[in-house]
Amino acid sequence: MNIIKEIKSERVGDKYYEVEHSSGLKIFIYPKENNNSTYAVFGTKYGSVDVSFKTSDEKEANTVPAGIAHYLEHKLFESEDGDAFTRYAKTGASANAYTSFDKTCYLFSCTENVYESLEILLDFVQTPYFTEQTVQKEQGIIGQEIRMYDDDPQWRVMFNLLRAMYHNHPVRVDIAGTVESIAEITPELLYKCYHTFYNLNNMVLCVAGNVDLNKVLDLCDKMLKPSKPVSLERIFENEPDEILESRVEQKLSVSAPIFQLGFKEHTVPERLSAKEVAETEILLDLLASDASPLFRRLLDAELINESSFSYEYFEGPGYASVIFSGESKDPDAVSDEIKKEIAKVRDHGLNPEAFERSKKAVYGRMIASLNSVDNIANSMAALAFTGHELFHYIDLIAAADIDSVQARLNTQLRPEYSALSVVNPIN
Amino acid sequence: MIGIEQRSVCDGVNFRSIKDTKFKTVRMSVNFMLPIQKSTAASNALLPFLLSRASSEYPDFTKLGERLAELYGAEINADVQKLGDVQLLSLSASGIADRYSLSGESISTELSKLLCSIIFDPPFENGLFPKDGFEQEKRQTIELIESEYNDKRTYAKQRCEEIMCAEEPYGINRYGSKDAIKNLKREELTQAWQYLINNAKIEIMVLGDCDPTLVFEGFYNAFKKLNRTSTVDCPTKNIKKADKVNDVVEKMDVAQSKLVLGFRTAVAIPDEEVEAVKLMTALFGGTPNSKLFLNVREKLSLCYYCSAQYLSMKGIMLVQSGVETKNVEKAKQEILLQLDEVKKGNFDEDEVNAAKLSICNSYRSVSDSLGSLEAWYLSQTFTNQIKRPDEAAAIINAVSRQEIIDAANHVTLDTVYRLLGSEEETE
Repeated sequence: MNIIKEIKSERVGDKYYEVEHSSGLKIFIYPKENNNSTYAVFGTKYGSVDVSFKTSDEKEANTVPAGIAHYLEHKLFESEDGDAFTRYAKTGASANAYTSFDKTCYLFSCTENVYESLEILLDFVQTPYFTEQTVQKEQGIIGQEIRMYDDDPQWRVMFNLLRAMYHNHPVRVDIAGTVESIAEITPELLYKCYHTFYNLNNMVLCVAGNVDLNKVLDLCDKMLKPSKPVSLERIFENEPDEILESRVEQKLSVSAPIFQLGFKEHTVPERLSAKEVAETEILLDLLASDASPLFRRLLDAELINESSFSYEYFEGPGYASVIFSGESKDPDAVSDEIKKEIAKVRDHGLNPEAFERSKKAVYGRMIASLNSVDNIANSMAALAFTGHELFHYIDLIAAADIDSVQARLNTQLRPEYSALSVVNPIN
Repeated sequence: MIGIEQRSVCDGVNFRSIKDTKFKTVRMSVNFMLPIQKSTAASNALLPFLLSRASSEYPDFTKLGERLAELYGAEINADVQKLGDVQLLSLSASGIADRYSLSGESISTELSKLLCSIIFDPPFENGLFPKDGFEQEKRQTIELIESEYNDKRTYAKQRCEEIMCAEEPYGINRYGSKDAIKNLKREELTQAWQYLINNAKIEIMVLGDCDPTLVFEGFYNAFKKLNRTSTVDCPTKNIKKADKVNDVVEKMDVAQSKLVLGFRTAVAIPDEEVEAVKLMTALFGGTPNSKLFLNVREKLSLCYYCSAQYLSMKGIMLVQSGVETKNVEKAKQEILLQLDEVKKGNFDEDEVNAAKLSICNSYRSVSDSLGSLEAWYLSQTFTNQIKRPDEAAAIINAVSRQEIIDAANHVTLDTVYRLLGSEEETE
């Protein structure tokens, strides 16, 4: 039996369906009748950080090579009789996949043949096929993907920062692994990881666009192979609150220094609440958006530029930090200014007018993001894995109060746990 | 699909709108088109950035930012692009639809006023743009030009275009040169602004959930005061054939080498054969089922990306790849070999259909995004007859096998650009 729940938002004027499918899969369907395109994501809560794990049937924990989740993503497209792209070629869908720290998602977008495309998606993700030869072939391709990222200053400055902040957590390791670590990957290891994490109880399907609920469910009834519920233990070494190094540097072919300043937070295995995340989003807008006094000071001092300065709340299983990034002739001066502003806000409290503005800005951007079926489907998948709900999240933003947002500073943006990563020009 | 409405504002100024309430936002943009020239590229490029930062009503950058935040995180953006030999300077405003405002204000009316005022009513001091904003934008534009060096994939592509089109206006950087930006005087900017509003070819677009009539009236009145009498012609030079191959090697300290091949296709907008060349490019290297993806990447495992792109405004095709230094020649040979296969007609119906489905899928998706709609109709302004995406899809579907072969046989290799890293071999 499938259990169907309708989730509606008066505020947004939209609704979607959350389905607990009898196979164990959670399905989200967000209809947009006036759209031409439909976007579907079939994802598993399995990312680059899941390198040590144990199922309830096992006595010993497994430790697998870095980059294996991403490698698996590449290889899953192949089956015994050709690859998924060849099949999608007949429906016209544009297909892709991505692996992040905490999830792997397979997706397509199409304007015709929606159900045929969805059938391909559900089929190939449930049908692994790995051989010595096909695994070997991918070494060259992923090897070049890794080399491409070696030259990407934005990517390097981020991983250098993560390595400076985290002692043990695997978030410090590149998502694609290294040329050496992927050389250890075998078909057996891929099957092991596949059977552990590609269990429908650990997965989610999100479809947004011009679709019919019942047709999607009929197809799911036909295609989904029930999975036995499994209890899965992800093993993370204990991560201290302290950072490892307060400043790290690398030289690359860049025109000007690129930086990331990270503030590490104390973390527990459970994910943060939706309320905490929403409040942080408002806090960061207030502190550093282009209407903020901090932004203006940095700009006037010629320390940042509008095209590169940004901030984000980077949080996942067992890690959370606020990261400011950009390009600057003097990253240390930027870091000092940001820390000064944080201290000021901590001492004097938030400006109530600026708080109201930031709240409206964050709310408006959330509403705007619901134009796009890609955004909707990907957000629903990300939220499903953290146990949060899309419309509730928007309500939390609209309802945020200044004291709670101020209180986030008790655990966030502590200068003693900050690190600065800089990529400098070679000459 | 919901239709596009067109009105004429005055000589050389067009107004197009699509009102579609499926969007939760509105996007309005004023797009100025001028022939790109060495002597004016820099001053023109600075204008949209300078205009977007303030108006007489909001002379202060931060105050304008605060106002936009209050309007639920609305944005005013400046952009500079090249469409063939045309420099496209855009100012746009976007925000959520009025129905989402929490206290009943009309966001779209406010945004249309703001957009009009930043363009027509800059905060002049004695007829000049304020010095601090001017210096600030000069610095930021120079940093923007410099940062093009950081992303090696984009950098290599741009270098190839620059070298290939060195004798054509298209070879000029969209922002002009760094030196030209440095040497700009405030007086020149006032002049450039005068020329921009009085003589550029202008397309105003209003898209999404808002009544375009009010926006039209605002711009109509503003332009009426100008009394425009002449509009500059915006031609693009189409060199149909390469006489010889230009071979350029540059070295850099990078992990992965880049290879970019620049071809002349003989066909550019407004030629009838544009859709045939688009289809040929997709079959050759535009999709995961294309010859380049299946052979250079999948069969030979030489790279992570190898793809072809057709720039229909300019009539050139670029093939880009990232490979090990030792494999650059091998990749180049394979790319040329695959082009020969297309020229000889060595492709089957499945490949043709896959390419057709893929292009039609992306055309039909255009109406689901305001940004895509805007880009679509801007490029259409250079065609003989404005086509909707579904009309263009019908043309794609009617392209014959022989037309693809003919299109490929008009392709000539013009420039081979290699950005080489160290010779060191990595396994």
